[in-house]
Amino acid sequence: MIRTCSMKEMMLQYGQPGMAEPALLVSGLWFSYPDKRDVLRDINLKVMPGERVGLIGPNGAGKTTLFLTVCGVLKPALGEIMVLGKPVLNGDFCPEVGLVFQNPDDQLFCPSVRDDVAFGPQNMGLSKEEVEARVREALSVVGGLELASRAAHHLSEGEKRMVSIAGVLAMRPQLLLYDEPSANLDIRSRRRLIRVLQASKETILIASHDLELVLEVCNRVVLMDEGRIIVDGEPRQVMADDELMEAHGQEKPHSLVPHSVPHPHYQR
Amino acid sequence: MHIPDGILPATVCAAGYAAAAPVTWYSVRRINQRENPRADIPKASLLTAAFFVVSWIHIPLPPTSVHLVLNGLLGVVLGYFAFPAILIGLFFQAVMFQHGGLTTLGVNAIIMGLPALVSYYIFRMRNILEKKSQLITGVFGFVAGFAAIGISVALFLVILLTNIPAELDVATERTAIYTLALAHLPLMVIEGVFTGLVAVFLQRVRPQLLDSI
Amino acid sequence: MKLEQDKYASLDSPLHRWEPRCKFVGLVALIFAFSFVRELSMLPAMMTVTAAIYAISRLPVSFWLTRLRYPSFFLLVVVLLLPFLSGQTVILSLGPLGLRQEGLISVMLITVRFLCILTVGLVLFGTAPFLTTIKAMRALGLPGILTDMALLAFRYLNELGDDLHRMETSMRLRGFRQHRLSRRGLGVLAWLGGSILVRSYERSEWVYRAMIVRGYGNAPPPRDEFQVSAGDVVALVVTFLVAIGFVAGDILI
Repeated sequence: MIRTCSMKEMMLQYGQPGMAEPALLVSGLWFSYPDKRDVLRDINLKVMPGERVGLIGPNGAGKTTLFLTVCGVLKPALGEIMVLGKPVLNGDFCPEVGLVFQNPDDQLFCPSVRDDVAFGPQNMGLSKEEVEARVREALSVVGGLELASRAAHHLSEGEKRMVSIAGVLAMRPQLLLYDEPSANLDIRSRRRLIRVLQASKETILIASHDLELVLEVCNRVVLMDEGRIIVDGEPRQVMADDELMEAHGQEKPHSLVPHSVPHPHYQR
Repeated sequence: MHIPDGILPATVCAAGYAAAAPVTWYSVRRINQRENPRADIPKASLLTAAFFVVSWIHIPLPPTSVHLVLNGLLGVVLGYFAFPAILIGLFFQAVMFQHGGLTTLGVNAIIMGLPALVSYYIFRMRNILEKKSQLITGVFGFVAGFAAIGISVALFLVILLTNIPAELDVATERTAIYTLALAHLPLMVIEGVFTGLVAVFLQRVRPQLLDSI
Repeated sequence: MKLEQDKYASLDSPLHRWEPRCKFVGLVALIFAFSFVRELSMLPAMMTVTAAIYAISRLPVSFWLTRLRYPSFFLLVVVLLLPFLSGQTVILSLGPLGLRQEGLISVMLITVRFLCILTVGLVLFGTAPFLTTIKAMRALGLPGILTDMALLAFRYLNELGDDLHRMETSMRLRGFRQHRLSRRGLGVLAWLGGSILVRSYERSEWVYRAMIVRGYGNAPPPRDEFQVSAGDVVALVVTFLVAIGFVAGDILI
């Protein structure tokens, strides 16, 4: 069953308010850029700790903008964002929320991988030992310990992705936002990424066009289009709905198509 | 540190263009003597844009923040492309941000561009040394950055103060130039340190950038 | 940072329709004639001509005002300093400071020349797409290396600016604050600057390859086709006469 999103229903589904602090609570969020109006229109979203939410929708649906407002980079016109019960204030440093950028090059600027992963913890004012411990921990989570002394600019695309994730993990965020994490990855790196995501204990939001990845990783999916949340539900149910998916420029993932149907052009 | 339109006499503006033309011509000639000048144009162009962008980075210098000029670093990285790059950068600034001016483009190109070539020569002396440790690169970078901005400040002040319509006497003029130059000393040190640090970064990450052009 | 260079380039006015090469030569001549003016009595004529050109161009006044914001700081310094520094004829004493006549005159000259040149410059580069103007400059004989570099640099300026913006955002999200000057802070900013250079260098290698596979450098660049009509030439001659008028007037008065 597919349902459109409303606060009331979400609360019914995810427990009574006050029972557990939601990891993320977005209510009545509106946002406009100076040259583009209503990029986000009345977004309401409640994510409980440990949930893995896939955010799908065509380019320009507002996924990245939503991420940027959640981590306090953009100031919403209206509405409220709470992370773990605390309001997100525009421009504040908030290590509880981590954003992994779509292009790792936007994040990696230090001469060595170690410097880059240490950048966040250093800014949190941690001791030298603690910083070093966090660097090792974060790099081992993504399987990149041996990269520590390499130059970030010399890594492969997959390695860059892992290091940019480690740079965010090192701050031990509670809520992780991944913007197109599988973009430009080869098969092996993508598989490694999926394993890392599946093993993660943080609450995560993944904006992606890689629907198969969302199917494998997420226990919930949110379909956005033109700044609105269209549907919020169980990934298999939402993505199997041909009509809904096509109406918003999506395709039913291939793994949800029955494999018993032979290819129409197959001849023998 | 760009001289705007309207302040210099027309003769000085013309002299600026007259001085910038042969330097441009010489730079273009040296570029064309290279093995494959066409191959370097995309590199030099994107780096020109990149320098333009890097100069937007705010460097905190309480109670305010400053933008760097980076002409020393430009010389270090771009070599003979530095003068055309600066000419284009100044042109963009004049047209897009009304910073500097169209009539003073030649004068400003000399103020910024000649020191960039000096930095290029300074930094190239590094090649005499067998070993290029990070320390050596850093020191050469610092000297190149410091010298470039120092010469620029001096040229800027001399041109501005000798042409300003105030009838200052020679002694006052000289004192003014010295005082104002001294006031720029912190900026010169920051430029030098920044240039040195970027040179070390480039040597660690992409040494081709220090050698290729 | 958004470059709003071409915001009004598609309006329709006689200046938008003027052939780009004629426009460039004519208005540049006028700009230099303006910079030549040293006589106070020439200023009203200069302002009238400038205002007329701006009015004909149909560029909105708001465009002019926003463009003035950045250089107005310089103007303020000149207006505040020069009247007290320049000249001997004190016309008003304010304590130890004397307001001098010569200084006031130069302030007026500098301010008007500055504003008029800036305005004509805005019309020159604001009434045609920036790329068209650069092509006109190439057609007028600017060296190919310069125009190629200018075109390519302009093409990537926005993108590199966006790169910088995103990198600064990602640094802020990882807690980097730059309120005071520190060794680490300056080092981090140098890494940021160096990374922008490295990224643009790496991108340039791909740009070059993409240009090569499409034949860059194999043939001389195509001649830009500009059509000159009689009207364009008449406008050019009139502008020249006005420019000469300013220079001659300034010498004769």
